[in-house]
Amino acid sequence: MVNERTPLENTVGDRESWRRIWRKLDNPVIAKELRSWMRGPQAIAILTGYLMIISVIVCIVYEISMTSTPNPASDPSFRQSIGKAVFGTVVLLELLLAAFIGPALTSGAVSSERERQTFDLLRTTTLSASSLIVGKLGASLLYLMLLMLAAVPIESLAFLLGGVGLEEIVISSLMLFVCALFFCALGLFFSSIMRRTLGATVGAYVVIVLSAIFLALALALISMDPAFNATQYAANVHQQTLWLVVWMLISTNPILAAVFSEVMLIDSQSAISGAWGPTSISLNLPLPWIPMALLYVYLTILMVLASIYFVSRPDR
Amino acid sequence: MSAIIEIQDVGKKFGNHQAVAQLDLSIEQGELFGLVGPNGAGKTTTLRMLVTLLRPDRGEIRINGLSVLREARQVRKLIGYIPDVFGLYGNLTVAEYLDFFGACYGIVPDRRRRLIGELLELVSIAHRREDLVDTLSRGLQQRLALARVLMHDPQVLVLDEPASGLDPRARVEIRRLLAQIAERGKTIVISSHVLTDIAELCSRVAIMEQGNLVECGTLEQLSQHVTPLRRVRIAVMAGADVPEIKKVLTSIQGVSNVKMEESAADRARLTFELEFQGDDSELHQMLGALLERGLPVIHFGEVSRNLEDVFLHSTRGIVS
Repeated sequence: MVNERTPLENTVGDRESWRRIWRKLDNPVIAKELRSWMRGPQAIAILTGYLMIISVIVCIVYEISMTSTPNPASDPSFRQSIGKAVFGTVVLLELLLAAFIGPALTSGAVSSERERQTFDLLRTTTLSASSLIVGKLGASLLYLMLLMLAAVPIESLAFLLGGVGLEEIVISSLMLFVCALFFCALGLFFSSIMRRTLGATVGAYVVIVLSAIFLALALALISMDPAFNATQYAANVHQQTLWLVVWMLISTNPILAAVFSEVMLIDSQSAISGAWGPTSISLNLPLPWIPMALLYVYLTILMVLASIYFVSRPDR
Repeated sequence: MSAIIEIQDVGKKFGNHQAVAQLDLSIEQGELFGLVGPNGAGKTTTLRMLVTLLRPDRGEIRINGLSVLREARQVRKLIGYIPDVFGLYGNLTVAEYLDFFGACYGIVPDRRRRLIGELLELVSIAHRREDLVDTLSRGLQQRLALARVLMHDPQVLVLDEPASGLDPRARVEIRRLLAQIAERGKTIVISSHVLTDIAELCSRVAIMEQGNLVECGTLEQLSQHVTPLRRVRIAVMAGADVPEIKKVLTSIQGVSNVKMEESAADRARLTFELEFQGDDSELHQMLGALLERGLPVIHFGEVSRNLEDVFLHSTRGIVS
């Protein structure tokens, strides 16, 4: 038939469609940010410092674990527990990395453009506010992912020793990604509402520290309630409520969520749900990493949308 | 020519300070339009409203029929803006810098590559293509900024103090570049304190003070409006009788406001400046009258009105 496309036309046509799709996804801000960072000394300095710290701590954990048993080489379950300890150490350090380096990477994302007087140049282009924000977030996330990937060889010690299951690897990877996303978005949000990078950085870290303090206080208060630690067998609504609240609070903190998810995973052998609380109540709840991930994704979306709104407004 | 920029009844207030009062202005397509005024006159505020960075409190600004408030994204496709103070991404190379901004405007990579080469040739910094932007001098950075705003081929360029911080040679070069760009049919709006640049480049000038538009028109129109009298400069040999010369000059019909210029540099002559009302034949008669009375005239000529005179006449020198 006359209108039928030739195989060559089909191929070229598809390629052109892919090119159009790629152009839409291609964000110039990501490339520009990564280029700028990798040309400065700080990118290498952060990477080197971070790997050194992780290496030293993992070595200390390994040494302590090895010296705590008379003959570790002949005890496979003990080797696996060391493997778990190494893996857990690396994951916890990476969560801390996400919490402390994430905001530092993004708290200057927008405010530094204002300080450097390049913000107006960007705002008068046709680059949308959403592209700018997503580009800044994407670049920071990619850099954090690079740091986390760089720690994989150290983490692989755990795989050699054993004791780490596939569920733990998947859950920890998801948690790390979600935490990196959340903490980068937190810094980005403050950067978009504050005029100065210093103010944005302080704002982001104040939120992190205050939320940790609030969590500690809340958990301490709850633990002081006599009903919390009661051991009578009879189901107690007040005690159940307290433990439910504790579960919710723990799910707001990635480190606590990781630790307690691991505990529940070992107990229940399920990556999704398990028994929570003393045997007197034994609530069946999702592992804390699940509500933590959902909450952090939700908050990330809110912060990104808010950042886009603040960046897109003309000056008044 | 049709108006490409229309500013209608625009006002802007910051707190209690009226930065721009009731501003009405229209700029024709292809014009080189100058905006001058003392510090705090409202020039930068006006330009920022024009380029969608600032929301006017009232009124309407349209560029090629598009509202800067409601159709900001479409307006940005039409404009290129260089602020008076701007930063640069210092650790990108010149080519990468232009590539980034080209990508921000959605220009496809192949076209960006071609445009970068062409624009770097136009602004004469092709030899610095692979150098970091941080290593460029102020003058070259300004040229790079011009290349940046031309990447997406806008219809309107808005330049706030383009000669700011440049040495005299760099200023001349930028002026030549702007004239070249204007020849391509672009509408250029320039705000500057360097009145000679504005007078040389611009076909029309607006003078603002304290948020108000004081004068607007061609240099000729502004000069006529400010002072219809002609200024004439006469130099005589040193040693001549000054009171006698002044008496002779003031006795000629149409002459007023005779002043003697004190010039430490040239003691071989005495220079007088006066205002004269009359046409060319009456001016010729004045010269004849001076020679008849035996004055040792060694220079006789009309002083062309300049923008500085217009500016000083039109403004009160109040800095907001």
